[in-house]
Amino acid sequence: MWEQLAEEAPRFFGYYNMIFIAQAFGQTLALSVLGALAGFVLGAFLAVLRHPRLVPFAPGRWLAISYVEIFRRIPFLVKLMCVFFAYQLAGAKVSMFTVALTTVILSATAFAAEIVRAGLESVHRNQWDAAETMNFAPAQALRLVLLPQAWKIIIPPSFSYVIGFIKSTSIASQIGVLELTYAAKVLSTKGFSALLCYGTILILYFLICWPTKLLGAHLERRLGVSHTR
Amino acid sequence: MGGDAPQHAAAMSYTLQFGQVVGYIPDLLWGALISLELAFLGFVFGFGIGLFNASVLHFGRGWVTWPSKAYVVFFLNTPLLVQIFFIYFALPDFGITLTSWQAVVIGLALNAGAYLTEIQRAGFQSIHAAEIEAAETLGFTRIQTIQHVILPHICKVLFPPLSNQYIILTMTTSIAAIFGVEELTGRTYNANAITFRAFELFSIAAVIYIALTLIASALLVFVGRRLFRIDAKVF
Repeated sequence: MWEQLAEEAPRFFGYYNMIFIAQAFGQTLALSVLGALAGFVLGAFLAVLRHPRLVPFAPGRWLAISYVEIFRRIPFLVKLMCVFFAYQLAGAKVSMFTVALTTVILSATAFAAEIVRAGLESVHRNQWDAAETMNFAPAQALRLVLLPQAWKIIIPPSFSYVIGFIKSTSIASQIGVLELTYAAKVLSTKGFSALLCYGTILILYFLICWPTKLLGAHLERRLGVSHTR
Repeated sequence: MGGDAPQHAAAMSYTLQFGQVVGYIPDLLWGALISLELAFLGFVFGFGIGLFNASVLHFGRGWVTWPSKAYVVFFLNTPLLVQIFFIYFALPDFGITLTSWQAVVIGLALNAGAYLTEIQRAGFQSIHAAEIEAAETLGFTRIQTIQHVILPHICKVLFPPLSNQYIILTMTTSIAAIFGVEELTGRTYNANAITFRAFELFSIAAVIYIALTLIASALLVFVGRRLFRIDAKVF
């Protein structure tokens, strides 16, 4: 088996395969980065909507809670299929990349909402009372009092969730988005050994996720979250 | 949804029809049972793997811990889907041929094992020497110390993240469908191949997953409250 691998490796790591894999690598990155960013913005919006003192509007809160609870409890694969067929149902002609990106954003929103909520809740209620005493409007309290204290709590766990989304994008291969996992499938269909294809792709995923994780851990130490209030 | 169907038909030429699909719901629910079985197997094996590696990491020194560290770092930073692809398609090169069921269970267990290592290691770290010394001062025997001090403490610390991991595992079992295991998602694919009522079927599958995980969350919160006095909420 090892002779066969040694014989195959130069062809596998040939110029055109490398370009193919690099493009797939770009798609994986694009899906995860765009999905995580958009999800984070929408998730922050949901977290604010859910906060009783920022938005004292109960139906909005129920909406935010049900969104988070529903979208965190559906597996990524099933969500992907639902989005895929929902686009079809609406008669929209969209690329597979858009379908996958929509799914990543939908899940990222739900998870980000929880992280931001935890951050906002970590700010002690005395701070709220103080902001109210100073006659701050909710938006001012959010911008001047809450966020400066909450972002240290929000940032470190977000990195581990981003890793989660990077890993979830591998499931987008099921609808034919040409990201890393699909590239591995294509190459193994071309006759390269599965060991080489999937092994290479595993290492590439590792090379995306591991530095992200290290960065998150570094920030966590650096921000030195203190639990004093 | 049935009420405004005619308007939908006019607007987008596709009518939601649950009538054809209702007959498949019992089949899907049996599939959900297989999903639960997968999650259970993955959790039990993963727990064992996690306990072993967490003990090695907590009590071991030097090179003994390297394999466990490498295992955790690698499995936490690569996607489960590709891990199972590797187990299913690349291991035959080494003469290990597995059925799709075996490959999925091994993949789930190895993947969950990495997360459960981290969780259980945190559990080990949460025991403080002062607690054990206090127990000794009170004249507890070693078994009494474990039974009355260490175990209740560890259970209280570990129960919430463990139940969280179990819920996540229940959802990740849907990946088994890609390898042809006929669990909930797999059966949804099959029913779709017959009826072509894709959106209806997948939304029913989604509802079943939500129900499964909500019931599991509620049960685990109840058990945690009763046994370990953990103050947790479902939402």
